[in-house]
Amino acid sequence: MKMFTKKERKEAGQGYLFLLPTILILGVFVIAPILYAVFLSFHKVELLGGASYEFRGLDNFLKVTFDDRAIIALKNTAIYVAVVVPAQTFLALVLAASLNAGLKGQKFFRVVYFLPTLTSSAVLTLIFMWMYNQNGLINYVLKIFHLPTYNWIGDPDVALIAIMIMNIWATAPFFMVIYLAALQDIPDSHYEAAELDGAGAVQKFWHITVPNLRPVTSFVVIMGIIGTFQLFDQSYIFSGGSGGPNNSTLTVVLLIYQYAFKTLGTMGYATAIAFMLAIIILVATLIQRKFSKEESLY
Amino acid sequence: MRPAKWMSAVCFSSLLLTTALSGCGNDEESDTEKTEIVLSGWGGNPVEKKLLNEVLADFEKEHPHIDVKLNTINDQYMDVLKTRLIGGTAADVFYLDAFEAPALIETGAIEPLKKYVTEEFDIDDFEKPMIDAFRSDGELYGLPKDYSTLALFYNKKMFKEHGISGPPKTWEELEQIAKKVTDEEKQVYGLGVMPQIERLYYLAESQGGEVITDGRASFADDKVVNAIQPIVDMHLKDKSAATPSEVGAGQSAGEMFGRGKAAMVVEGNWNIPYMEDTFPDIDYGTAELPTVNGKKGTMSFTVGYAMNSESEHKKESWELIEYLTGKEGMEKWTSKGFALPTRKSVAAELGFDQDELRRPLVNGASYATVWQDGPSLPIVMNNFNNQFLSAYLGDRKLKEALKDAEKQANREIKVTE
Repeated sequence: MKMFTKKERKEAGQGYLFLLPTILILGVFVIAPILYAVFLSFHKVELLGGASYEFRGLDNFLKVTFDDRAIIALKNTAIYVAVVVPAQTFLALVLAASLNAGLKGQKFFRVVYFLPTLTSSAVLTLIFMWMYNQNGLINYVLKIFHLPTYNWIGDPDVALIAIMIMNIWATAPFFMVIYLAALQDIPDSHYEAAELDGAGAVQKFWHITVPNLRPVTSFVVIMGIIGTFQLFDQSYIFSGGSGGPNNSTLTVVLLIYQYAFKTLGTMGYATAIAFMLAIIILVATLIQRKFSKEESLY
Repeated sequence: MRPAKWMSAVCFSSLLLTTALSGCGNDEESDTEKTEIVLSGWGGNPVEKKLLNEVLADFEKEHPHIDVKLNTINDQYMDVLKTRLIGGTAADVFYLDAFEAPALIETGAIEPLKKYVTEEFDIDDFEKPMIDAFRSDGELYGLPKDYSTLALFYNKKMFKEHGISGPPKTWEELEQIAKKVTDEEKQVYGLGVMPQIERLYYLAESQGGEVITDGRASFADDKVVNAIQPIVDMHLKDKSAATPSEVGAGQSAGEMFGRGKAAMVVEGNWNIPYMEDTFPDIDYGTAELPTVNGKKGTMSFTVGYAMNSESEHKKESWELIEYLTGKEGMEKWTSKGFALPTRKSVAAELGFDQDELRRPLVNGASYATVWQDGPSLPIVMNNFNNQFLSAYLGDRKLKEALKDAEKQANREIKVTE
């Protein structure tokens, strides 16, 4: 018995022919680099002066255990994720709900709030560094209110917090737009019914808006986790590529960059860390999905 | 209708493919009689840049068949250079800091130069420590274009006010003077200190200890710790020294000195044009660094020209290096005094050893420690500086801080192996 008839095979061939350009491009620019990275992560690689590879087995993966900077980077990144993801999600939700409440000029504010997302993160970082300067705008405002001022960029205890504040401010509006779109889908009848039952604005928010937005929240949190684990450009610019002061802004991706492009002969180790980061993100996402049971909306 | 459907699939796919691939095609370079070679460096100040362009124009006049294209890498020079070397798009000739040289030489990305050197080039004319910085296993990988040592800059007016006749000759004298001059209320300190290993290296090794032994960090050795302890004590006990950032002068001891916040700083040749431009009113002098246990010592920093081992125009590239580090090219390049010439004959010609401000810097060349110590030095530097700062600011004991830094540096070195 034949598995496929001639006609079926012909149809499939046609299909693949149509797919060919995409398959080729994906293959060359996505699949092949991933496979090459797998290959690199098991070798000691020196790309300079005629590439040389030396098989090292799992060495690169085991090195992480005694690499203090890798552990610091992972710790910094974890703290960053743990603070930024909930904060930006909550802020996005509140912003979206308030901009959907039918206030005057809400269209104008929707545009204004969205502006930070449109700005390139490099430009944003430079502007913030300027404001974070010891004699800059932020310290100036803090002084007016007789609050303590900080050496935002130079003090190892606050440098990461400075980046967190900046990123929450810049990313929340993007997720706000997603929430805004989702809010349009909540039927008015739910709110009307709640009003008849005597629910106030706060109760409506917690018992109708939040549960109805659950699938979107799940999406926002997953995207947030993936994005925050990959923090790189802001801390790169903040520290001039070093991850300083005293490794306080060193993130995993910045460490990968340093091993790949700054120190010689550690490309293999860099790809090994990159794989471990991918696994961490995967696990974090799976855990998040398990907890939120996304598809089960009522 | 079958064939037509097939045809459309083939046509559609090939159409997409050709558009996707058309971007990959490379326009063939048009034939010119001139050979173009690219020179990469970091940008200096505008005057330096103009000077370099003039030297290159002179070179092109003398070598009409060569066209030199200057390519400036403004930021993250080494990262960009390494990436380009890997990608095969690096310049034919590029600047190379002696400090970064050993690691790059190890990889084979740099062309050995010994075979190009002629009798006429007179290689013995170079200051030995500077050219040795680019040697490895008897082979030569670069030619130093210029250098600077460190010297003591002192504020003449402040010295006079406190009745000090001249610059200190020994470290003990320096400590005494620093105490005398310090006025904590006005935030004026005796000595402005950059708490970095690149400035303290000669001092660290002055008692026979080694910062790096066999490629491993060894600076927590008591001999090294004791040698640097005085620097920390001046800050914490005598309170007669401070870092630039403590007095709001950023990261520059030169600025601290220029703004009158330090009576003495240890700086290099670059500080002379800087003072001239930014703080022309300060009356200052320079002196050789004070002796430690009766021995002279200072640091020297040098940058050389190196050739890409994958260059397609090696002969022409060498002609460029030969000219730039030759007597004529170097004389022009160093004539304005932004950097000191590495050729003894050029130094004599330009008379820097007679120049009142530059004489101590030139004199230092013969006994200076070149800022270079094998491929692991960059890692050692980072870890040392990180921890040394906390010891300098009094957060930790020096010995403890350096012990931690040493351990961490050696782990990092192990990771890169």
